[in-house]
Amino acid sequence: MLRQFFASRFWALVRKEVNQIVRNKQLLIMLIVPPTLQLLIYGFALNPDVHHLKLGVVDYAQTADSRELVAALTENRIFDVEMVTFDESVLARQVETGKLTVGMVIPPKFSRDLAGDRPSPIQFFIDGVDANTAGIASGYIRQIVQQFNQQYLSPNMRVPISTQVIFLYNQGLTSSWFFVPGVMGLVLTLIGSIVSSITVIREKDTGTLEQLLMTPSEAWEISLSKVVPLFVLLMGDVLLALTIGRLIFNVPFRGNFLLFMVLSGLYVFVGIGVGIMLATLCQSQQQVVLTTFFINLPMVQLSGAIAPIETMPKFFQYLSIVNPLRHYIAIVRGILLKGVGLEALWLHVLALAVFAIGLLAISTNRFRNQLN
Amino acid sequence: MKRILSQAVKELAQFRRDRLTLALALLLPLMTLLIFGFAIRLEAKDIPIVIQDFDNSQLSRLYTEKLFATNQFTPVNWQSAPETALDYNFAKAAVMIPPDFSQRVTGNQSSEVQVIVDGTDVNNARVIKNSIKATTQAFLQDQKLIPENRLVVPETRLWFNPGREESLYIVPGVYAVVLWIFPSLLAAIAMVREKERGTILQVYASDLTAGELILGKALAYLVVGLGMAIVIMGIGALIFRLRFAGDPMPLLIGTPLYLWASVMFGIMLGARTASQNAAVQGVALVGFLTALLLSGFIYPLSNIPFPLSLVSNVVPARYFIGITRDAYVRGIGWSGVWFNLLMIFGLGLILFNVARKALSRMQLGD
Repeated sequence: MLRQFFASRFWALVRKEVNQIVRNKQLLIMLIVPPTLQLLIYGFALNPDVHHLKLGVVDYAQTADSRELVAALTENRIFDVEMVTFDESVLARQVETGKLTVGMVIPPKFSRDLAGDRPSPIQFFIDGVDANTAGIASGYIRQIVQQFNQQYLSPNMRVPISTQVIFLYNQGLTSSWFFVPGVMGLVLTLIGSIVSSITVIREKDTGTLEQLLMTPSEAWEISLSKVVPLFVLLMGDVLLALTIGRLIFNVPFRGNFLLFMVLSGLYVFVGIGVGIMLATLCQSQQQVVLTTFFINLPMVQLSGAIAPIETMPKFFQYLSIVNPLRHYIAIVRGILLKGVGLEALWLHVLALAVFAIGLLAISTNRFRNQLN
Repeated sequence: MKRILSQAVKELAQFRRDRLTLALALLLPLMTLLIFGFAIRLEAKDIPIVIQDFDNSQLSRLYTEKLFATNQFTPVNWQSAPETALDYNFAKAAVMIPPDFSQRVTGNQSSEVQVIVDGTDVNNARVIKNSIKATTQAFLQDQKLIPENRLVVPETRLWFNPGREESLYIVPGVYAVVLWIFPSLLAAIAMVREKERGTILQVYASDLTAGELILGKALAYLVVGLGMAIVIMGIGALIFRLRFAGDPMPLLIGTPLYLWASVMFGIMLGARTASQNAAVQGVALVGFLTALLLSGFIYPLSNIPFPLSLVSNVVPARYFIGITRDAYVRGIGWSGVWFNLLMIFGLGLILFNVARKALSRMQLGD
């Protein structure tokens, strides 16, 4: 039975494909270098942390209270004092040009107000160009000032309600843990679609497809022999991406490894399906690379890899349901970070399976038709 | 000069004849503008949260109401363990009010409210935490549960963007990303096609120098790029309601300079790669990644860690984003952005020289 398989036409075709891919250095480099670079750069460069914000201070009061307040702001390294001045217009100018993120003005009567049991206002102006950072910064300012009120000004005051916040899945809020699973999906999409479209279109370009057709091979054998080696190579990329995530970014792996590999395999089929589909639609390599660009850009941007799905306008959230990458990324984050299994992910798995089978069936069918 | 011009005219004629490239040159930038401009948002709205009120008193109900009054959260009904609501992604956070909540709060003791937040999306986890803390504080003040005297009151004001509209931050950045990727992509393809089809040999045979060839091609794609810039900035202004915040001169001068650098980048990649595929991959990998990730487009530049932060110093998109954000949001004008213009000009010059060297080495006499 086994011997029969190794002597079969199908096996010969698979070996031909493997040889072709292995001999093509450019293709091998493409399978290794861009995914590695992308994972590293996305993982390191995308960082929403709000810390070491540049703070400028004008302290007209110059009292122990005012110094204590400034110390409270810088204590957690969320704010760093970059400038101390007595000229408000200089401070304003620095915030205007974006050299400082936050400017703070403590009025001369600051301590007198406090001593006289009156509320004492402090002015903060924040550079609002970066809306997200500005929002989080103003949240921190409120919290720190409130803590200052409680701990420094009225240490005996009772706190009626305290909130104990715990972050699940990512206690230290390490930003790469969010981005790395997303980029794993992104990398598979880009590489899978490009590599598979190129291996197919090249055969069209160079005319060797006709030669293949002259052999007694069946059309299904030709198309399947294309899919199998690509699948194996791309699964290698899955492992590569996972290794980088685990070793370099210390991303946890809390779920089931087998489930992860099976579902990644499903997603690899999506990538191959998209690639073969594009190859059947296009006439030349140039068209293929341009159209993959056209397909991949929205697929990646509407997947939640970089900007979370929940933050998009409703219309784009619904649109992303037909994006297989969105489901794959949800699955990867679920398995790696949350450690959940099919019981929580079945909807995404179902969607992914539909896309994988559908795309692969349609694209290989088109390919077969073109062969006949 | 005349030779440069005729080279540019020839290039434009070729460009116009290639239907697919022409269509993509028009559609891709527009699609990118719309998708990035609409879909890249960082802060979540309508965040689903679970409230488990074990106290169920008037005070705890008021507290719950207060949490939803900000319109940032939407309630989710969940009966079993709150962690599973987060596991199944039905909710992003759960707030658990203890049974003795109102008793302790009114009885001069303190009560601890447990909050668990899904930390997967790091940025919004932080937003949720801040928001719940702030709401709790506001609730205490509303209910007169804390003294109002002897308090430091922060009066925060957001400059330039008081409504914290994220589009004001994202869209000017998209201009820089789009105007970097697509002009360079087209220029790279044009350059490498000449090599692939062997027409470069005809150029070698003529007395055109490397510099002239590059300038001719660059001029053609500069024109294409300017067309792109007018279209996306025009449509961007209409759809996202961007208005000039100050003197638009730095932007008007900076845009052609930036496009020039972009086209040079493409020609350089085209001169150095052997196939169209490799050229597109090069632009996609180097150009796209640097313009998207090392330019401060999504998160602040200061968050990029050390070795990568050095690279970001030579990313022209970084400097152009400074110019577009100034033109549309900040409005400081020349004094804020002259250095950015200088850097873009300098980087463009370096790219031109690298491209010229690469071409000369491939036999064009200088």
